[in-house]
Formats: sequence, C-alpha cells, structure tokens
Amino acid sequence: MSAQPLIVVDNVAKEYMRGSERIVVLRDVNLEIAAADFVALIGPSGSGKTTLLNLIAGLDQPTSGRIWFDGLEISKLDEARLARWRTNAVGFVFQFFHLIPVLTAYENVELPLLLLNLTARRRREQVLMALDLVGLSHRLHHRPGQLSGGEQQRVGIARALVTDPKLIVADEPTGDLDHVKSGEILDLLQSLQQELQKTILLVTHDPAAAARARRVLRIDKGTLVEDRSMHSGRFRLFEWTVQ
Amino acid sequence: MKVLLLILKNLRRNKLRTTLTALAVIVMVVLCTEAATVLFWVHQHVHTQACQSKLLVSERWVAPSCIPTRYLALLTHQEGVEDWTLWNLYTGYLDTSRQSSRKGFGLATRPDNLIAMHLGLEKLDPAAVEALQREKTGAIVSADLMQQMNWKVGQQFTVLSSSHPHKDLRFKIVGVLPPGEYVRNFFFRQDYYEEGTGNKETITCVWLRLRDAETAQRVASRIQKQFQHSQPELKVETESAGVARFVSREQALLSVLKWVVAVLVLDMAIVLSNSISVATRERRVEMAVLKVLGFEPVVIMALVVGEAMLLGAVSGFVGAALAWLSSTLAVHGFLPSNPATRIFFSFPIQAAMVLWGALLGALVGFMGSIVPAWNAWQVKVSDVFAKIA
Repeated sequence: MSAQPLIVVDNVAKEYMRGSERIVVLRDVNLEIAAADFVALIGPSGSGKTTLLNLIAGLDQPTSGRIWFDGLEISKLDEARLARWRTNAVGFVFQFFHLIPVLTAYENVELPLLLLNLTARRRREQVLMALDLVGLSHRLHHRPGQLSGGEQQRVGIARALVTDPKLIVADEPTGDLDHVKSGEILDLLQSLQQELQKTILLVTHDPAAAARARRVLRIDKGTLVEDRSMHSGRFRLFEWTVQ
Repeated sequence: MKVLLLILKNLRRNKLRTTLTALAVIVMVVLCTEAATVLFWVHQHVHTQACQSKLLVSERWVAPSCIPTRYLALLTHQEGVEDWTLWNLYTGYLDTSRQSSRKGFGLATRPDNLIAMHLGLEKLDPAAVEALQREKTGAIVSADLMQQMNWKVGQQFTVLSSSHPHKDLRFKIVGVLPPGEYVRNFFFRQDYYEEGTGNKETITCVWLRLRDAETAQRVASRIQKQFQHSQPELKVETESAGVARFVSREQALLSVLKWVVAVLVLDMAIVLSNSISVATRERRVEMAVLKVLGFEPVVIMALVVGEAMLLGAVSGFVGAALAWLSSTLAVHGFLPSNPATRIFFSFPIQAAMVLWGALLGALVGFMGSIVPAWNAWQVKVSDVFAKIA
C-alpha cells in the first residue's frame, strides 16, 4: 500500500429501505487503494460489490462513513458536483457496454468531452487517440449496432479513457463476451494499467478476470472478507470487519 | 450544438412514433389556428378603438330597419361627426336556380369614403373605388362570391332581387373585396340603388364616425334622446357594441370554440407527453449512462424538454403553415368553395399565425415534457443498473 492512497474508504456502510424493511448492503467497509493499482472486487451475487463500486465512483452516497478520492472527500459532494467530478476523475466500463445506439463510435467516445471546455480540435484529437489506443481507428463512424460485442466494449473503454481519468471502474466488463473477446478486453485493461498508469477497479465473477488483477478483494454479505495481493501471494482476512 | 444534434438523433430513433406524434400535433394546430383566428377577430372587433368611435344608427323595432331619408341630415350634422355613410340592403339570387346558396347581399353606399368608413377594407385596391365612382352600375364583390360564381372583374351579373321584387339590377364587377369582413356581400352605389329600385325614401342604416369613443357615447345618447319619441324610433350603438351583440348571439358557439382550443392544447400536451414519456422510459438506462459520464441532471432534463419542444415547435410551425396556406389558397380561388373552405373567407389566417403555431407547439411541448423531464431528472444511476444486473 502506498503512503498516499488514491482512494480511502473509511467505515462505510450502505443501507436501503425496501418498504418498511431495512436492507444492509455494506457494513463498516475500510479500504485503501493505491494509484495505478489493478484491483479486482469479487464475491457472490448480492454481496455488495457493485454497491461498493458505485460508492467509490461517486454514483451513490454512503449511509455512513467517508470516502476520499485523491484527497477530496467525495462522500460530501452533492449530485451536481459529483457529476462534474466524475467527468474528470472516473471512467466507467459496463457489462452491457451502454453505448448510445444513435451515435457513432466517434460520437459515443466524444460524449464526456462535451462537458469539458475543450475546442473541437482538441476533442477530436483526444477521441482519435482513445479509439487508437483500443484499436478501433478504422471503426470511427460505425454505430454500436454495426459493431461486434468486443468492439462495442472497446468503444466503451475508449469512452472511459477519453477524459484521461485517474480511475477506471469496470463492472463485469467481460460478462457479456465470449472467452476470446474477454481475454482481449482484459489484456486491454491490463495494458492501460501498466502503460498509462491508470487505477483499475474491476468487479467480476470470473476467476480468470480476477487473476489479471494485482490485488483481489473479496466481499461477502456486505463485508470485505479477503484482501489478496496476487503477485506477492500476500493474503489477509478482514475478520475484524465481520460483525 | 452537439446537444441539439443529440436531440435530433433521438427524434430519429423511432421515426414512426415521431411522425405520428408530429401528425397529431399538426392536425390539432391547424384546428387551433383557425379557432384562434376566429376568437382573435371577435376580440379585435369588440375592443378596438376604431370600433368604439363608430356609431351604427338603425330603426329600433324593425329588421331590416327602414330609416326615413329625411333623418339623414339630422344625424350627419350632429356635432362631433367627422364622416358618415349609409347602407341600403339589396338582396337577391345571383342566378336563376334561386338556391339560397346562390344568394348575394348587396350594400348600396357612398363610394367616395368607402374605404375610410368600412372596417376591413383597408386593403381594398383604391383603383376599384375609383372605378366604382366612374361606373354607376359598378359593384365591388367579395372574393368568396367571385370564386363561387366563377366571376371575373369586368364581367356583368344580374341580381334577381328578393328584397325588392321586380327590381332586378344588373351590375358590372369593378373590383374584389379583401377577404375577411364581407363574405357574400358586394358594394354598389347608392345613386344606382335609388335609380334602380325607385326607393329614395328610406335607408337601412347610417354609419357615423366620431372623433373618439367618448364623443361617440355622447352623440349616441343625444341621438337616442332626440329620436326617442319619433316615428320610427332609432337605435344607436357603437360598432363594437354591434359586434358584441352579434357575439352575444353566438356566445354559446364562441364559448364552445374557446373550450375547443383549450381541449386541443391540452390534447396536444397529452399526446406529446405520452410520446416523450415512452421515449424517456425506453432511454432510462441511457440517461443513467449520461449521468455516470458526468451529465448533470439539469442537462438530462434539458434533453427531454428540448426534444419535446423541438418536436412541438416544428409540428406547430408545419400545422400553422398548412392552415395559412389553405386559407391563402382558398381566398385566392385555388381551392374549391365549400362550407369547409368558406370559413377562410370570413376569417382568413394571417401569415404571422405561422410563428404563433410554432410558439404554441413549443409551449405545448414544454407543458408535455414537464413530467417526463422530471422523471429523467430523478433517474437514479444505481437503481437503473441494479435493475439491469
């Protein structure tokens, strides 16, 4: 763990109300993620992986506890400020790609840049660079419907990269792809982490995908129960988080 | 610009739905435009200063009225009267079929101040008036009659009189009235009327133009008082009061018309709201994605409102333009004369209504998008993705 982690999650809990029933999704989660790390978040369905990812990425607010990102306490920001922060700080890759079907690959990647104060020329440069990085320079003007699943996910990754965020969160990015395409997407994510020093936070059910990460966090019933460094083989149980 | 492009692309997603929504709005705007034109006409005539400073003098208890010609000097020499004219009604059939649909209503009057004394004749070609002054048997005929009878300027026609039996008169068309006020009328000279019918003793009504509304009120009460016990007794009202009297007779119809406009506007808003709601519901995930990418809720809301307003404005523009085009074509004789197109002669749609249609469409789009836009604003990213997962 580096001295100044990029992300700090401090005693975070998340609860929902379903009718009169209180659902505890996360409880007392403590976590630090270093910059340029590749972290996989694993666990059974309903364990709270995506909820934790949403909290770290500023898509949701914790019921209690605090979250810092690069020294900024994002758990204090309102929705509008969180939206502005996300544009610059976080890139998102989704399981089902979630590209806008009426826009071309180029336009989909350009979308987040429309929120920044950039000239059209600068936008174009960044979009072309992002699409080049994912190997799709030849598919600029194709719509999502004209692209394969793997290509759509590459467009999704280019869209996540285009604002040059420090963190890329990927929620089951290979969940809708075959084995070969999954491998290609994971290779791409790995190269982004290694070559561009991006911090990757990957939520997955797939052990093969998790194996690509440098660090694996396992969550169960809303609690972090395992923190494993894949390369050092270091293994730690978060027994202190279990209530 | 890019946001506008996104709105346009969103509208093209489901072309059938967009087209059907636009068609519904277009039809409603066409109806709304004509209804609003009628209401606007009534409002203008009841409330304009010009109408309040003009007096209509007629016989109190008889219709059509018969004022003795000897009254004319007493009426027109009243203090404050700036100008005057008279009408003698001369009705009859325009061909031997003697069908009521072939009836014309002639108004014998002074030709020298024809334009000045008649509301709605501002656009009448002065050359037509000059021709009327030259040609004793001349008549300036409404555009509707010209079209219905397929007449041309310079042509002659005979009126088989129903108001003056055995006094059929032959006229020469010297001009065409602008559409609007006079639908089945024609103006001709008073001296020809007197000569042709032999009636020099009575007139149907007298119009007096006063300096202002206040003078008109004063002169009206003076005339009422002066002719209170005379035989026949006279009735004096401002032109706006005359219109108001007509309006009060048609009040129920006008009320219905107002309700029709209100219902049409509401209907348009519902149609647009329904269409935009469906589109918004279909795009909840995309809206969530836009939020994830950093689009603020207000921008998402603006996308929805913008889509509805653009669709409404374009449809409104097209609808009002169609209504104006139909009206113009009907007035200029390019559409067959029938009860449906005849309303355009009475209430021709002005070109400015096209802009009104676009604004109405945009307003309705705004109204219709409030609920869907609010729903879009409320889209919660985590909820949407949780449902997908």
